[in-house]
Amino acid sequence: FFTPHAKGTRYSPPGKPALTRCRSPEKETFTCWWEPGPDGGLSTTYRLYYRKENSERVYECPDYHTAGENSCFFNKNDTTIWVNYNITVVATNALGSTFSDPVDIDVVYIVKPNPPEKVTVAVMEATGWPFLRVSWEPPHKVDTRSGWITLIYELRIKLEGEDDWEMHLAGQQKMFNIFSLRSGGTYLVQVRCKPDHGFWSEWSSTSYSKVPGYLHQEKSVWIL
Amino acid sequence: LYMVASCSAVPINDLLDRASQRSDKLHSLSTMLTQELDSHFPPIGRVLMPRPSMCHTSSLQTPNDKEQALQVSESDLLSLARSLLQAWVDPLEVLSTNANTLPHPAQNSIFNKIQELQEHSKNLEDGLDILSGKMGPAAQTISSLPYSGGNDIGQDKISKLTNFHFLLSCFRRDSHKIDSFLKVLRCRAAKLQPEMC
Repeated sequence: FFTPHAKGTRYSPPGKPALTRCRSPEKETFTCWWEPGPDGGLSTTYRLYYRKENSERVYECPDYHTAGENSCFFNKNDTTIWVNYNITVVATNALGSTFSDPVDIDVVYIVKPNPPEKVTVAVMEATGWPFLRVSWEPPHKVDTRSGWITLIYELRIKLEGEDDWEMHLAGQQKMFNIFSLRSGGTYLVQVRCKPDHGFWSEWSSTSYSKVPGYLHQEKSVWIL
Repeated sequence: LYMVASCSAVPINDLLDRASQRSDKLHSLSTMLTQELDSHFPPIGRVLMPRPSMCHTSSLQTPNDKEQALQVSESDLLSLARSLLQAWVDPLEVLSTNANTLPHPAQNSIFNKIQELQEHSKNLEDGLDILSGKMGPAAQTISSLPYSGGNDIGQDKISKLTNFHFLLSCFRRDSHKIDSFLKVLRCRAAKLQPEMC
């Protein structure tokens, strides 16, 4: 006879999905991600619904693809700031639907930019002593020119093989000089940025720079 | 009058730079206050809290994305910022009066921060008055957004905390708007200093 048991699995409605994170990289678009719950042994679909403050109208996620699996991307036209979005994810299979806990967000409070780009480290020389000149550009998505977002930067540097990073706050500058270097060492440099009201970006990928062995030469002269 | 006369020598972009430093601080303070309140907020308060559309300033039409904001003229941006600031003079006083007796473990620190908010708002208002004087009549228009909530924010602990939190969250949003408008203005005024924006 018909049995809902297959390989000892009991079918059930989907477990509760959870909205885990929403992030805007530039205060113009945003993405929300969710964690699916158990699927109840059946093929399960996920849909995201949202309602904006001041309106009872419920909209469905405009774009499930751009930001990858289990995500919803809101492009510029779908993004309004200083307005709360009430967001819910609904998991549905043949036996029923389960709603996530709703989440309220205002895009201005979830801004986390991408890391700075084109980080370059050049060995420069001033009066015979080398120093490192680190320069970078803001993440290309962020519009800093119009003042829509103001970024500050922080960099960290360490000698290859060492554990501890040395931190430097660069403020709004897009360049930073580092003096008192170890001769002959290879330095690792990373930069990150923070918007005026928001979260630090991840660190940029590492840039390497080898400082010439200037002390070495001097020392050998001294010994002679 | 003497002060105003001596200040008129300061270029507009310097004034805007100072103003946006203040508005930045204003918003950061309101964020810190919100976090402080959140640390001991009754869960029921989140259910009872009025919707943001109930904020007394929500009737003011403001741009709500970048495209719209960048289309607003300089004098209108300034006028929006000034209208919002003006609208908070009375309710900030209400917050200040009630912070004294707020049933919250961080009551003292909250009270001090509200005072700081008031001071910064006042300074910013004075600064923007000077700016608007330099920018012509359109910048001097202020929309009136009266606060009709009264001085009393509630009888019992829950309603006191809820209403205090609600007012503060309205202020937090408005201070973010003020800061955003002023920073856009600052960059327009600083076109000759590309390293700034």
